[in-house]
Amino acid sequence: MRYSYHRPASLDEASDMAAALPNARFIQGGTDLMVRIGQGRERPGHLISLRRIGELTTIDANREIRIGAGATLSDTLAHPDIRRRLPALAQSLAALGSRQVRNMGTIGGNLCNASPAADTAPPLLVYDARVEIRNGRAIRCLPLAEFLLGPGKTALQAGEILVAIVVPDPPEGTGSAFIRRGRVTMDLAIASVAASVRLNGGASIAIRVAAGAVAPTPRRLTAAEAVATPTDDWSRAAIAAREQIEPITDLRASAEYRRHLTGILVRRALTMAAAASGQWSIDR
Amino acid sequence: MRIPVRFELNGHAVEVEVAPDRTLLDLLRDTMGETGTKEGCREGECGACTVVVDGRAVNSCLFPAPEIDGTRVLTIEGLSCDHGRLSRVQQAFLDASGTQCGFCTPGMVMTAVAFLAENPAPMDTEIREALTGNLCRCTGYVQIVEAIQLAARRSRDPQA
Repeated sequence: MRYSYHRPASLDEASDMAAALPNARFIQGGTDLMVRIGQGRERPGHLISLRRIGELTTIDANREIRIGAGATLSDTLAHPDIRRRLPALAQSLAALGSRQVRNMGTIGGNLCNASPAADTAPPLLVYDARVEIRNGRAIRCLPLAEFLLGPGKTALQAGEILVAIVVPDPPEGTGSAFIRRGRVTMDLAIASVAASVRLNGGASIAIRVAAGAVAPTPRRLTAAEAVATPTDDWSRAAIAAREQIEPITDLRASAEYRRHLTGILVRRALTMAAAASGQWSIDR
Repeated sequence: MRIPVRFELNGHAVEVEVAPDRTLLDLLRDTMGETGTKEGCREGECGACTVVVDGRAVNSCLFPAPEIDGTRVLTIEGLSCDHGRLSRVQQAFLDASGTQCGFCTPGMVMTAVAFLAENPAPMDTEIREALTGNLCRCTGYVQIVEAIQLAARRSRDPQA
């Protein structure tokens, strides 16, 4: 027997277990962790399942949209408010894995796994999402950008539980989009980009760009945002984006290709976001 | 430590004990002796182990066995229990030649069953999207897509 398995019914119980059990790991959908355990890359003594904790799976769409960390990727994708108010997030969920993986995997798990290529991260960064973390009986909040620290590394301390992702409602007139490119649909992204645009006649009011799989963490491309303008077909934004990433060469693509691709995806994502904002047309 | 679980397997109540580090795939094949569900990659990539839990297709190779407690599970064995008659999706795979070596077929069929319950009149592109998590290394997927279309047509018109 490699590990024992625990199914607490509440967050308090889960926190207490984590404090008491040595070498314990929390498990949610298992689509990443079970693979790593199977490959012997991770050897927990105890798995503490968060699946029975109902409050982790609720999605509340009020003034802000609060997504329980344990909401499955399928349920998040199917939620009408997420499709309507956070379309770039919905697009990233539709592109993530297979139906089987989306039926098991959770949005919190996608963030806690902290892959540089995590598909939900670029749109959530663009939407200025923050995360709610349970530390024993206390709650702390962090901007998502401060939660993702490196490959496989988050700001979670031992025993802490990610409980929710909170997304402010994008202001009226905001358009957003997500694009990813991978070798095949099921594979991790070679590069992914999310953008959101709010325009006032051709002048930009607010622009956000974030990229995945081209740096140690998914990251906002603030330099690209600063120079982004529809009047040059987003060219300067694309150039600035290429300079603000730190791509690596791996089996999926070379660093040079990732840099090239990111420029193209930034331009396309901004074009799509501007079109979606309803203030600007693609073929003006 | 063994963990008692109670669940419904293909319409029958089951009560067994599972080792904590086993998966639903292990439980089905080794404990229940139901070997229609196949082990391919054990990494959630190939879909050969797909079963339907509470109406949703999942990779049983990544599903911790203790989590099966309280659920309803449908496997390939549960489709054709009606006196050996094949289910609609199975018959369509046969009629449309949607199978070659057959190893991926149970997973393909289970994905199709869950998908058609959600989308009874799909477009080909939607079927292909639904099959993203099921690999077949024999065919080009064309006949598999045709088989699922055939099953969909027959559910609307049994003479199709």
